[in-house]
Amino acid sequence: MSDWVIGMMLGVSIFLGSIAVVALVWAIKKGQFDDSEHFLNAVKFDGEEDLNDAANLERKKEALKKKDYRPE
Amino acid sequence: MSNKISCSHCHLEFSEDVMIKEDEHYFCCNGCQGVFHLLSDEGLDGFYDKLGNNKLAPPSEQFEDASNFDSPAFYERFVSTNKDGFSEVSLIIEGIHCAACVWLNEKALSGMDGVVATNINYTNNKAKIIWADDSVKLSKIIDMIRAIGYNAYPYDASLQEVKADKERKEYYTRIAVAVFATMNMMTIMVAQYAGYFTGISGNIRHILNIGEWVLATPVLFYSGWPFIRGMYFGIKTHTVNMDTLVATGAILTYIYSIYITLTRSGEAYFDSATMIVTFVLIGKFLEVLSKKGIADTLDVMNHYLPDDVKVIQEKKIVTKNVNDVVVGDIIIVNSGEKVAIDGEIVEGNGSFDESSLTGENEPVFKTVGENIISGAVSIDADIKYKTTKDFANSTMSNIVDLLENAMNNKPKIQQLANQLSEYFSTIILFLSFVTLVGWYIYSSNFEQSFMISIAVIVIACPCALALATPVATLVGLSIASKRGILFKEAAQLETMAHANILLLDKTGTITKGRPEVVKENIILPFRQSLLYSLLLNSKHPIAKGIANYIFSEDLEPLELQSFKNIPSQGISAMFDGKMLAGGNAKLMQTIGISVQSQSDNSEFYFAYDGQLLAKYELFDIPRDDAKEAIEKIRKLGIEIIMLTGDHEQSAKKVAKLVGIEKYASQLTPQDKATYIEKLHQSEKITVMAGDGVNDILALANSDIAIAMGNGSDIAIEVSDVVLLNDTFSSLSDSFKISQRTFTMIKENLVLSFIYNAITIPLAMAGYIIPLIAAISMSVSSLVVVGNSMRIKFGYNSNPS
Repeated sequence: MSDWVIGMMLGVSIFLGSIAVVALVWAIKKGQFDDSEHFLNAVKFDGEEDLNDAANLERKKEALKKKDYRPE
Repeated sequence: MSNKISCSHCHLEFSEDVMIKEDEHYFCCNGCQGVFHLLSDEGLDGFYDKLGNNKLAPPSEQFEDASNFDSPAFYERFVSTNKDGFSEVSLIIEGIHCAACVWLNEKALSGMDGVVATNINYTNNKAKIIWADDSVKLSKIIDMIRAIGYNAYPYDASLQEVKADKERKEYYTRIAVAVFATMNMMTIMVAQYAGYFTGISGNIRHILNIGEWVLATPVLFYSGWPFIRGMYFGIKTHTVNMDTLVATGAILTYIYSIYITLTRSGEAYFDSATMIVTFVLIGKFLEVLSKKGIADTLDVMNHYLPDDVKVIQEKKIVTKNVNDVVVGDIIIVNSGEKVAIDGEIVEGNGSFDESSLTGENEPVFKTVGENIISGAVSIDADIKYKTTKDFANSTMSNIVDLLENAMNNKPKIQQLANQLSEYFSTIILFLSFVTLVGWYIYSSNFEQSFMISIAVIVIACPCALALATPVATLVGLSIASKRGILFKEAAQLETMAHANILLLDKTGTITKGRPEVVKENIILPFRQSLLYSLLLNSKHPIAKGIANYIFSEDLEPLELQSFKNIPSQGISAMFDGKMLAGGNAKLMQTIGISVQSQSDNSEFYFAYDGQLLAKYELFDIPRDDAKEAIEKIRKLGIEIIMLTGDHEQSAKKVAKLVGIEKYASQLTPQDKATYIEKLHQSEKITVMAGDGVNDILALANSDIAIAMGNGSDIAIEVSDVVLLNDTFSSLSDSFKISQRTFTMIKENLVLSFIYNAITIPLAMAGYIIPLIAAISMSVSSLVVVGNSMRIKFGYNSNPS
C-alpha cells in the first residue's frame, strides 16, 4: 500500500468523523438534548395537525410583529 | 362492594355510587367535570387519546386570584422583554404527569390570541412562555393553565440556572470534541506503538504524526481552553495551580511534537497532550455537573410560603400581597392554609402543623393569645390573628435569608491533589529551567539544551497526578450510586473523608418519623371496624399509626354520625345512637372514664358507650438499622451528635435506644445552624443528615449535607448527598466509600510521585529514549487507573 493511500484514508476518516462531531456540538448548542423525553414524545404525538399548529404560531408571531411597533 | 369505575377525566377509579354521572361519562368531582367540558368545548379532547391509561391528579380547586401576575412588581421580577418586543416568563407548571399533559398545556396556550411560543420541558416541568403583552395579559394565560386543571408559579430563570446550564452545555461540547479526538488518536497510536516493534517506514510514521497533529489541535485549543484560561489567570495573580501544570504540560508537549513532526527527528507525543486534557476535563466536568443552583433552591423555598393573605380591612376581607401587610393587620387563616407572617391569635383556635420549624409531626394546639409562626400549616384551625412582624422579618423569611447566606458562603475544602500540584508544578518548571541552563553551560548547544529541558516537562506531564483524583472519585461515585447514595459533586467524596463529626436529626432521620403501635391492650373484645371508622376521620399521626396497625381487608368503613375533633384530646362520633371516643387520658376523664397513665409513650384509649375497650401505646421508633449503622460509623472514628427540636425526654429515649451519647434538644432551625457554626470554629469538619424543612439551615451550614431520600424537596435540594434508598446503612456506607476513595487518591499520588522521581532525573540527564518515555507515561496512567479500580474490589470483599 502506498503512503498516499494511508494518508487519504486517515484524512477522509478524520473528516467524516469531524462532521459527526460538529453535528453533535450543534445539536447540544441548539438545546436538542435539554429535554430527554422530547424526541420520544414528538415521535408519539406529532402529526399533521401539530405541524399546522406550529406553522400557525409562526404566522401569528409574524403578524403581531408587523401589526405593532415594537421597540428593540 | 360496588363496582369501581374510572373518572372520564383523571382516570382514577372510585365506586360508582360516589361518581357524578352525565350521559355516558362519570366524574369523580366537579373539578374533573369542568375540565372535561372545557377541553371538549375548546376542541382539545384529543388529549384523552394521548393520555391512554395514564392517571391524573384531579384538578385542585383554585381560589387564588391570578391578577397579581399582572402587577408591576411581578413584571419587574419575572417578566422580561425579548428582542422582538414580546414578553417572556418562566413558569413551573404543577400537575404534569405525562407527555399528554405537556401536549395539552402547549396546545391550549398556543391557541390563545397573543401567545406566540410555549415550550414546556417534561423532565423538570419548567415552561417558557412568550406572548404579546398588548394582546393578552399574563393573568389570562395563568387562568387558562388553571382552567385546564394545572397550576403555575413563576421562577426567576435569569440568574444561576441559565448560567449553570450554559456552563454545563459548554462542557458537553468540549468533552464531545476531546473524546472524539482521543478515541481516534488511540487507533493511530496502536499503529505507532506496533511500529516500534515490527518496524515502520519513516514516511508512514510522518503521515500518522500529521494525523495526530490534526486531531490534537482542537483538543488543546478548544477543549483545553478552560485550562489555558486558568493558566492565564494564574499568571496574572502569581499563583501556580493544577491548570498551570496541565496547560504548560500540554502546550509544551504539543509544540515539542510539532517540532519533531516537522523535522522528522524523533517521537511525537500528541497523544499525551490530548489525553491529559481529555481526562482532566472530564474530572472538572464532574465537579460542575450538579452544582446546586442557589436560585433554584430559593425558588422552591419561596414557594413554601403563600404570596398573599386574607386581611380584614374596614370589616371586609381583602386579599393583600404579603409584602404589603403591616404590623397590626388582622389576617384570616382557614384550615389547610399556610401561615405567611408571624403573629398572635385574636380569635379562634385549632391545631397547627409546625413540622417545618420543629421537625415534629405532632400537631400543636393553639388558642387566643398564643403566637403563631410563619411556615406553620393550619390543620383544622379557622382563626384570626394580629401580625406582630412584617413579612420580611417573619421567621420563615429570616430562614430564607440565612439559607441564601449559608449557601453562598459554603466552606470549600481544597482537594489534596490541587494542594500538591501547586508545589509539584513549581518544582517541575524550576527543574526544567535548571536543565536548560545546565545543559547550555555544559554543551553550548541551545537547541539540544532546549529539547532536553522540554523533555523534562513532557515526561513530568502530570497524567498520573492529574488522574489521581478524578479516576478514584469516579469509581467511588459509581460504587456509591449503585448502593443508592448520590453524591452531587465529585469533590464531596474527598471532603466527606475528612469529616470528624456526624450530626443527626431525630425525627424522620433516626426515627421513622411516624408513631407506631408498640403495645396493644384489649380490655374488652370489640368490633374493630368501629375503631377503624373513627380513626379514618382524623388526620392526626397517632390516629394514622393505629389505623395502619389494625388495618386488615375485612374491615369495612361504617357510617358514623356527628364526628367531632376535640383539640389536643382526641376524637368522638356517634354510632347507633351511642358514643365512640378515642384519645388521651384527658378525653377519657371528660367522658367519665378514669384511667391511669404512666407510660412515656403516647397513649390512645378507645371507649364505646361509656366503656373502655382498648388501650394502645405508640412511639416514633428508630429505623431498624439505625443502631447497627451508628455503631459502624463510630468505629470509623467519627463522633456522633443528635440534634432535635423535640423535648429533652423524648430525645434522651431515642438517643439511648440507638446508642448515641451526645445530644442537644429543643433546638430551633437557627439553633441547629449555630451549633454547627460553633463546631466549625473549633476546626471540625461536619456532616449533617436530616430530612425536613427544619433542618435546611443546618444542612446548608455543614460541610457535607446528607438528605434522606424521602425527605422534603427542599432538604434534598440543599444537600450534597442524597440517600435514595432511605436507609441508615447507606449512611455508614457513604462514610466508608468516601474514606476508601480518599485512601486511593493518596495511593495514586504516591505512585505518580514514585514514577516522577525515577523518570525526571533520567530526563534531566538526557537519557530518555522515546520508547521508554512512551511506555512509562502510559504505564504510570494505567497504574493509577488500575489502582483506583481496587476501591471496588476492596469494597466488595468487605461488605457492610
